[in-house]
Amino acid sequence: MKRMMILTGLAVCIACSSARRMPEGDLQAARETASMENGRHQYMKYCQKCHPMGEEGLGPALNNKPTPGFVEKFQVRHGLGAMPAFKKDVISRSDLKDLIKYLHARKKAKRLS
Amino acid sequence: MRPITCCLLLVVLLASCYSTRKSKGGGQTSVPAIRETDPSDIVLPEGYTAEVVASGLNFPTAVCFNEEGVPYVIEAGYCYGEVFTTPKLLKIVNGKAQEVMKGSENGPWTGIAYYKGNFYIAEGGQKEGGKILRVTPEGKQTVLLEGLPGNGDHHVNGPVIMNDHIYFGTGSVTNSAVVGPDNAAFGWLQRFPQLHDIPCQDITLAGVNYESEDVIKKNGARVVTGPYLPFGTASSGGMVIKGKLPCTGAVLRLPLQGKEVQLVAWGFRNPYGLAESPEGKLYVTENGADVRGSRPIWGCGDVLWEVTEGSWYGWPDYAEGKPIHLFKRPGGEPIRNVLQQQPGEVPKPVASLSVHSSSNGIDFSTNEAFGWKGEAFIAQFGDMAPGVGKVLAPVGFRVVRVNVASGNVEDFMVNRGKKNGPASKLGTRGLERPVSVQFDPNGQSLYVVDFGILKMTDSGESRPVQNTGVLWKITKKAAL
Repeated sequence: MKRMMILTGLAVCIACSSARRMPEGDLQAARETASMENGRHQYMKYCQKCHPMGEEGLGPALNNKPTPGFVEKFQVRHGLGAMPAFKKDVISRSDLKDLIKYLHARKKAKRLS
Repeated sequence: MRPITCCLLLVVLLASCYSTRKSKGGGQTSVPAIRETDPSDIVLPEGYTAEVVASGLNFPTAVCFNEEGVPYVIEAGYCYGEVFTTPKLLKIVNGKAQEVMKGSENGPWTGIAYYKGNFYIAEGGQKEGGKILRVTPEGKQTVLLEGLPGNGDHHVNGPVIMNDHIYFGTGSVTNSAVVGPDNAAFGWLQRFPQLHDIPCQDITLAGVNYESEDVIKKNGARVVTGPYLPFGTASSGGMVIKGKLPCTGAVLRLPLQGKEVQLVAWGFRNPYGLAESPEGKLYVTENGADVRGSRPIWGCGDVLWEVTEGSWYGWPDYAEGKPIHLFKRPGGEPIRNVLQQQPGEVPKPVASLSVHSSSNGIDFSTNEAFGWKGEAFIAQFGDMAPGVGKVLAPVGFRVVRVNVASGNVEDFMVNRGKKNGPASKLGTRGLERPVSVQFDPNGQSLYVVDFGILKMTDSGESRPVQNTGVLWKITKKAAL
């Protein structure tokens, strides 16, 4: 029962929460760190075109999923469905770490309503 | 593995299952096509405001300004879906459009520039071929260049004037160099059955051909078509296609005081928006390939390029600067190179833009008072799914800004709401389909040309709604 509730809760979260974020500003302070800036750069290079600003596009939304970092890293490394895999020779370990950090900052940014 | 981890993986898996989900493009809506405007339905970074300058425009595509800063808008005169109207140059005074001149049924007019007392217009050329026009403020027209490719999928784009030349783009005739059934669906293949792409320099073909239904004769027969050849004409390995000017998929230029068209760069698919950066460099937005026709390309984003003279940018065997085989449709056939030899080394794009976003008009901020000086602002017309391929949600329908040094893309102008899309789908009064952007002469305000409502049927046909275009103006409060 507990598992069902967790699963239902997650499904509701995904169905109801918006993936959209306010333009500019909210990540300004977060970007001041070099790793965050690198994470943003990696995101723009490899993720942006299918998940524009973390929203749904050719691929699903990322901003509204409470997925833990290790699952996201697994998905980036191994791909899933239509999503290609990005191996270490494409996105290095440290770049991937920064990318996930940026993605999580984006999830926390002010929602657009 | 812990149960919670399994649950999370399952959720990710279900949410990510691309093939089971239907296309939900921005034009795929049954909401009545009513266009009203309310700037409060648009979200901008803090400190910026939007206002409506003019509305009720018929397929507007671009704006420019004379010396006094008076805006002039062009109406395209053509929209996908085989809708032909009259292209017009309009002067906008107190929110009203005054006709300066009108063109022939040879749209779409895709771009306009004002330079030293004259307007320069790129005439798409859907019926007569592309042209570059010079128009006086009194409406007197001179054809500077004609016979440009523009009768196919894509048209003559631009222009931008720099270095005493008129720079313009010529779009490719096809999606990925092979004429096929998708071109019949566009409507032009019946008009021009011999039309095909033209390389700018000699190319050698690999002998790759594609079989399709004979959509011209419609007799149920099958035909074989090769790249850079008319529909129903096969290629062979080692076959040389002579390059010539004007060619398709290129940035070309014409001296302001001359008649000889010159090659700037080639290997583009549809180089739509051209702009000069504050450093005097030429940038172009390229509309990436679609999942359609005999050689469908999947997952191909639009890109921003810095144009280097003489370079080949990869089309049709590269996209986004990467080999085309990487863009295979899930479950689809492998994509083979159609060229036996690569004409040059392919540059890397400045920025990657969303797949099917139709990233079109571009301009650079030049004034600190507006902000983001040196960054490029790009109008994203928005997807035309399912005609171009499937999307899980509307893509584009916004204005983004791009830092050309880092390639980072950020939203600048979006519709309010939990979901993205054109106002007609969201049921709001905000943006519909931004097609171009232009800063006023002092760089303090950004004008956004909104094409208006363009719906898509579930079978991928375009259904534009006339007289729904809007001209928006964005100003930073502190700059007032």
